[in-house]
Amino acid sequence: MNKLKINRPVSLLLTVLAIPFMHATAQADSVPSKEIVKLHYFNSNNSLQYLLLESVVKKGKKLEPQAKKAFRLYLDNDQQQNLIADVVTDQTGKARAFIPVALKTSWDSSGTHTFIVVPEAKDNEGTSSEFTITRTSISIDTSSADGVKNISVRVMKNQSGQWIPVNGVEMKIGVERLGGILSAGDDETYTTDSTGTVTTEFKKDSLPGDQHGSFVLVAKVDDNDELGNLIVEKQVPWGVAAKTHTNFFNQRTLWSTRFKTPFWLLFMAYSIVIAVWGTIIYLVFQIIKIKKLGVAGDSRNDQRKSVIQPVNEL
Amino acid sequence: MENTAALTDEQITRDLLPQKFGKRGTIWTGLLIIICVIGAYAYYRQLKYGLVVTNMRDYVSWGIYISNFVFFVAISLVGSLITAIFRLANVKWSTPLTRIAEIIAVSAIVFASIIIIVDMGRPERFMNLFLHGRIQSPIMWDVIVIGTYFFISCLLLYFPLLPDLKILIGLKQKTGKALNKLYRFQGSFWKGTGGQFRISDRAINILCIVIIPVAFCIHTVTSWLFATTYRPGWDSTNFGAYFISGAFLVGAGGVVVAMYVFRKAYHLEKYITEKHFEKMGRIVVLLALLYLYFNINEYLIPAFKMKKPEEAHLTQLFTGEYAALFWFAILVGMIIPIIILLFKKGRKPLPMFIAGVMVVVGAWFKRYLIVTPTLLHPFLPMQNVPDNYHHYFPSWEEWAIAMGSLAGALLVITFFARIYPIIPIHETITEQHEQAENK
Repeated sequence: MNKLKINRPVSLLLTVLAIPFMHATAQADSVPSKEIVKLHYFNSNNSLQYLLLESVVKKGKKLEPQAKKAFRLYLDNDQQQNLIADVVTDQTGKARAFIPVALKTSWDSSGTHTFIVVPEAKDNEGTSSEFTITRTSISIDTSSADGVKNISVRVMKNQSGQWIPVNGVEMKIGVERLGGILSAGDDETYTTDSTGTVTTEFKKDSLPGDQHGSFVLVAKVDDNDELGNLIVEKQVPWGVAAKTHTNFFNQRTLWSTRFKTPFWLLFMAYSIVIAVWGTIIYLVFQIIKIKKLGVAGDSRNDQRKSVIQPVNEL
Repeated sequence: MENTAALTDEQITRDLLPQKFGKRGTIWTGLLIIICVIGAYAYYRQLKYGLVVTNMRDYVSWGIYISNFVFFVAISLVGSLITAIFRLANVKWSTPLTRIAEIIAVSAIVFASIIIIVDMGRPERFMNLFLHGRIQSPIMWDVIVIGTYFFISCLLLYFPLLPDLKILIGLKQKTGKALNKLYRFQGSFWKGTGGQFRISDRAINILCIVIIPVAFCIHTVTSWLFATTYRPGWDSTNFGAYFISGAFLVGAGGVVVAMYVFRKAYHLEKYITEKHFEKMGRIVVLLALLYLYFNINEYLIPAFKMKKPEEAHLTQLFTGEYAALFWFAILVGMIIPIIILLFKKGRKPLPMFIAGVMVVVGAWFKRYLIVTPTLLHPFLPMQNVPDNYHHYFPSWEEWAIAMGSLAGALLVITFFARIYPIIPIHETITEQHEQAENK
């Protein structure tokens, strides 16, 4: 039997090279993964309540969204009649569910509610999670006196059927803009006092609004442990009315209609087209000229005739 | 054409006359017709059901059709390279290649026009471009310049054909009655008089001068269709030159392939010699190096900066979903042909043919890579769209139409070679006489 001959230095080198790979593979296998489910409650203008579920897997230091993962959401207990919705996460690992009207009685019956999230795993893997919030009401009011504009926001919570003010709620108050909220005053955030109220002066003068000079004031509470996410809006005519430039499309520009083409472009384009097509037309006339010469059979002044004689028999 | 020195006029005429299809020619033509018919059926389905039969959606609205369009426009540039530039530079050796180059240009530009109409969901609205067109739009510039280039290419094909038509008319018994009628219709007035030659020569010179800027315009404007659109991968000031260098390369590659095929099929070894392959090989390697240089500029510098909005696009090309295709296009379309053609042995007919095929195939995929991955990576994120909007792979209808258009272009070239001499007879004989006189 032939013995397999292996060069010792080569085998040593291969072993050394394989170590990091094996180590990396072993490390990848040994990193435990942990499934994390977060639930965010949103109350928009006291009229629209919805839940945003976020499902991620933590592998080492990395958080990866779990797409297409199904969950069942319940209000207070996991009985079928308290089902809020069946949801499936999207590519970002998020799913949204609105609290249905059918649960209004249950919703109104208590000041504190627990949302139960049950994963719909086929192998019954994963445990249910619970998230508790307190029912809240948020309102925004404005006043103007001596040219000073004030914004008041009040946060109340339901406790044993009574609405009581909430102290120490941090929120943003400002104007809704495309990239976020432009703070109404000098501070980034504001906090409610013992009456559940926060009042601030509106200091942003000459802010552009819509055609009527209106814009939207917003008060927003982000991820409060007890209250969730609250948002309230109010439209106010405190801005500068935007003027519509009626002559915008009436100029000779590249974005105008064909009847408003810039003169320089018309000149350039038509010069090129006329020059090139003029040449093409000239050349077509040359074909006609050649044809006329051929038909006339005029070869009296021919200095140069074809060097090739007709080849009739090959 | 040193090998033709000993040939008589009759011998040259006999060798270069268009020939009937043999067995292989018939199979080839039949195959092309079948592909065209399948393409036509797919287009019928597209007309009937709409663009929904394609896999183009909101984001990838320019798919394989526009890639094919850019490919056709690119390959059509070869007409100006071989015919006009060489003629103006008084390069005599290119004479047997001029007509091959011109018919490639004409067939390619015809199918570029057709494929752009195929891409329209409502082709009956094509006339609106002329009725309501805005000269501010680069699409309008493209329509104008493609039409212009088509007419100039046709004229450049027609004028040098006139003396050959006279020869063909004189050989009625050989060419047949039907073709003779066609030749008479097209060129019975050509008597070969001095006056006619003077006008024709002047016209050809004018055409050679005019076609060069028009050819540059056609591909520059096509590149502007992309460069004037603000998207990752297209937002480049380099695009005009990048497209033109690529067009010259694929055009020259196409001519090399056609040279080899016609040489083999029609036994034209005495006319398309190894010297022609040697010289074309040098041109192709120069053009491939030039295009590679532009590619390095186009990809290396954005990759060095790796701006956030362009990162997804570039990563997809270099290491992601399109990496295999990207490196295939770079290696097969440029680097391997360069390596083959740098060596003298590589510039022999067969290796040249292989390199030419690689250049053309690589160039087709390169156009696909210019169009599609960019559309899948817009600057603003794709949100709340169906999952299939994030990917694109052409439907069978798209493949059938694209392949049908390629087969159609080859069919035009095949029929042209069946009807007309693919190497100019008159010019070949004239050059032989001039060589004899010089000796």
